[in-house]
Amino acid sequence: MQAALIYSILTVLLVFTGLTVAIIIGKAWRESVEVYHRARRREIEPAVLAYAHGEAGSVLPGLGGQVRFRDRNVVEQVLLEFIQRVRGIERDRLGKAFDELGYVDSNLEQLRSARWWFRAEAAEKLGLSGARRAIEQLASALNDDEPEVRIRAATALGRLGGRASVVPLIDALNEPNRWSTIRIADILTGMGTEVVQELVQAWDDLSHTGRLAAIDIFGRIRLLDAVPWLRQRLTDEHADIRARAAHALGAIAEPGSAQTLQKIMNDPEWPVRAMAAKALGRIRDRGSIPILTGSLRDPEWWVRANAAESLRLMGPDGIAALIGMLDDDDNYARHQAVLMLGEAGEIDAWAEQLAVHDETALDRIRRVIRSGQIGRLEELAEMHPDAVVRTRIRAMLPEERS
Amino acid sequence: MMHDARILVAEDDPVTVRFLQSLLEENGFEVLVAEDGRHAHELATSGSPDLIISDLVMPYRDGFGLIRALRTLEALTRVPIIILSMKDREADIVRGLEEGADDYVVKPFNARELLARVRKQLDRPRS
Repeated sequence: MQAALIYSILTVLLVFTGLTVAIIIGKAWRESVEVYHRARRREIEPAVLAYAHGEAGSVLPGLGGQVRFRDRNVVEQVLLEFIQRVRGIERDRLGKAFDELGYVDSNLEQLRSARWWFRAEAAEKLGLSGARRAIEQLASALNDDEPEVRIRAATALGRLGGRASVVPLIDALNEPNRWSTIRIADILTGMGTEVVQELVQAWDDLSHTGRLAAIDIFGRIRLLDAVPWLRQRLTDEHADIRARAAHALGAIAEPGSAQTLQKIMNDPEWPVRAMAAKALGRIRDRGSIPILTGSLRDPEWWVRANAAESLRLMGPDGIAALIGMLDDDDNYARHQAVLMLGEAGEIDAWAEQLAVHDETALDRIRRVIRSGQIGRLEELAEMHPDAVVRTRIRAMLPEERS
Repeated sequence: MMHDARILVAEDDPVTVRFLQSLLEENGFEVLVAEDGRHAHELATSGSPDLIISDLVMPYRDGFGLIRALRTLEALTRVPIIILSMKDREADIVRGLEEGADDYVVKPFNARELLARVRKQLDRPRS
């Protein structure tokens, strides 16, 4: 019995000792590898940089004619780190060295690995290195079963650019069940103007979700050449396409779009009217002030709010239109006008003028009170730093209420 | 043209520092390195640099603050400063130039273009 106990204790001690030794050896091994890598890095980096800055046809002579197996990871890491920090000739030369030393081939091999994290890492490295000959395999990786591999392949294609990269990414917009459309749209947006023509050509084959994403991409890239095409989308049979197109036109803010946008302020669908109202504000088209003023009476809150905000953005003419709506028969229009005049700081400015008994300001405050929207005035009656202003507002409020 | 000018690099990313150091030294410049804004201020005042390349996002003192502080020092009012930053928004570029920088280069940068800008700043007469 006693021997069994001693045996058990010794076994436990042995296991713990074994584990401790294993941990220490593992840590020592990792640290020695790190020390070795740092030391090798100090030798390798200058050779890589001399090649990048110079005009030598090959990086190999600088590295002693070959890359030893144990240095392969260090050299790859050094190349990728520098590639990410530069542009132009240096970047091209470093990318060429990456290919020359066999890293493009080894990563293409890894892209077929059974382990998904190897595939994901390979896709990322191929994108960073600028390996254009990997485009076809990266496009195939867009169909990988693992989402992380797909998104890293998509990011890599985005970095590589060119038509061959754009086309598979646009196809991916059609598969919202397999992709986060937003992430693909971000990647395409980051590629800039080169995607515009491809998106236009792919339009007929895009799914509805893909089309919405495509219009958003146009709005974010803000390419003037896309304006005529976007204007045509304002007559699309789908209201959400019309609304997104209006939004994109507002983002581009090309003044020539104002007339077309004014026409869809009568669209039967309120999201279209709301986006058109917002777009007109972003374009700052003063000719749209009468239409926007009329939209303050729109039955939908969102349209009224966007129209009011757009009038505020128009400057003094828009503010004058909002002031004109203080006496409107439509309660909603009056409400929206007061709200926006408050946000623009106009009501506070009029209150300020009460201290000097300015007749115009007095009249406007009376009209605000008659509109029934006196929230801001009540706040000013309590909190305005000038006692004269507080007293005058208080004197007006009960009188107008009664 | 060979320069024996001294350039202070204020940058907290060691990889970028090594790249810049190699690029500048290979082209005949002496390089001082500061890994944060505070150290950069010390080296700028004690190391008599002929030109400063500064990042904007750095520990202790950002690039805007560094440039503002350096421009108040008589000895450094005419030393050219080139901002080298990932910040590519118009507002950041305008602010950098308004704070007193002479040029602004966005990362990732074109090494040869940066070198040309450095040479141009150094060759410009400082009256």
